[in-house]
Amino acid sequence: MTPRDKRLVDPLAAEYVLGTLRGPARRRFERWRASSALVAQRCEFWEEQLISLAREVRPIQPPPHLWQGIRQRLNLPQPRWRPAYALAIAASVLIVIGLSLVLYWRSIQPGPPSELATIAAPSGAAAWQVEVYSQRGQMIVRAGQLPARPANRDFELWALPQGGKPVSLGVLPVTGTVQHGLTGTQQEALAHATQIAVTVEPSGGSPTGQPSGTPVFIAPLRAIS
Amino acid sequence: MPDRAPPTDQEARLQELLDRCAARDAGALQPLYELAAPLLFGCLTRILRRRALAEEALQDVFVTIWQRAAQFSAARGKPMTWMISIARYRAIDLLRHERSAPVLVGELPEQSSEDEPSHELGAWWSGSALLERCLALLTDRQRNCLELAFVGGNSHEDIARLTGNPLGTVKSWIRRALQSLRQCLEE
Repeated sequence: MTPRDKRLVDPLAAEYVLGTLRGPARRRFERWRASSALVAQRCEFWEEQLISLAREVRPIQPPPHLWQGIRQRLNLPQPRWRPAYALAIAASVLIVIGLSLVLYWRSIQPGPPSELATIAAPSGAAAWQVEVYSQRGQMIVRAGQLPARPANRDFELWALPQGGKPVSLGVLPVTGTVQHGLTGTQQEALAHATQIAVTVEPSGGSPTGQPSGTPVFIAPLRAIS
Repeated sequence: MPDRAPPTDQEARLQELLDRCAARDAGALQPLYELAAPLLFGCLTRILRRRALAEEALQDVFVTIWQRAAQFSAARGKPMTWMISIARYRAIDLLRHERSAPVLVGELPEQSSEDEPSHELGAWWSGSALLERCLALLTDRQRNCLELAFVGGNSHEDIARLTGNPLGTVKSWIRRALQSLRQCLEE
C-alpha cells in the first residue's frame, strides 16, 4: 500500500467504522471493502482502535427465547445429552429409585419382630406363626396347617402375662396372614408375657374378654433382641 | 499493531469457540451465545433503542457469526471486536429503515443491575494503551462526538441536533478527531 492509497482510503474507513458514513456512500464503501484487501485492512485497523469507545456499554441479558430463534434459523440440531451428563443423570435416577424402593420396602416390611411364637400342633406342623413388633405396636399372624375346629367356633389368641390375667390378642386367622395394631393393654401384657395361648371360643371371640375354656395350645413367646 | 496485548482468558475462550464454529461444530454456538450475547445486546440496544428491533438484530448477528466464523478464524483478529463490529454494522443498517419511527421511552429495556457480573467490554478486551493515550489528546467535544457516533449509532445530523451545533462544525470536529487519532496511533 502506498502512502497515497492510505491517505485516500483511511478517512473513509474511519468514518465507515465510526458509523457516520451513511446512505449510498456506505453501501458503496462496503462493496469496496469486500473487494479490496487494503480497504479491509484499514477497516480492521479502525475497528480494533475505536472499539475502546464502547468500553462503557452495559451488557443486557437478552430474553431466553432468542436463542431458540437463532437455533431454528440456522437449523442447528437440538443439543444432545453428553455421555457424562447422561451417565450422571442415569445414576441419579437409579439412586432415587433405589432409595424410594428401600423406603417403600421398609414401610411395608416391619423388619425383624421383637417377639416370636410358633404355635405347633402335636404333629409338629406349625399352625400359626405369631410375630410381635413392639416398637411399631403391631402383630402379624400367619396361618399354617390348622387343626380341626368345631363348627361356628373360632380360635382366639391370648397373651399370658406373668402374675396377671390373660389378655386377648384377637381371633386367629384360618388362612393367610393378618396384621393388626396392638392396644396399650395388649402391648403391656406382651411385655410381661413369656407365653401365649390359644383357646376355642364362640364365633367372633370370647364374649367375656376372658378365655372361656382351657387353652388348646400354649407356646413360648421368645424375645428377639 | 505493535502494541497488541496478549489475549485475555476470555478472548482465548471466545477464539476457541469461534474456531469450533468455523469447523461447523454446532455445539459451540450456544456457549458462544451465552458468553457474548449480553454485551452485543447491550450495544444493539444502545443504537436501536427499541427492544423488538434489538432482539431481531441480535438473531441476525448470531446467524452472521455462524456463517462467517471460518473467515474470522483464519484472519485471527480479536473475537469480541469482530462480533461487536458485526452487531454495530447490522444495527446501522437497520437504522436506515427504522430511525424515522418514534422511540417510546417505555420500550427501552432496563439496564442490567450494577451488581451483575461484569461482562463489560473491559473484561473482554486486552486493549490498547496507545489508543487510550491518543483518545486523551482529543478535546472533550471531539471525544463526545465520537462516542455519540460509535456507541449511539448517531449520524452527523443526529449529533448536530443532539449537541446543538451546526452540521458542518460537527462533521469537521469528527474528521479532525479521526485524523489526529490516526496520526497519534501511527507515530
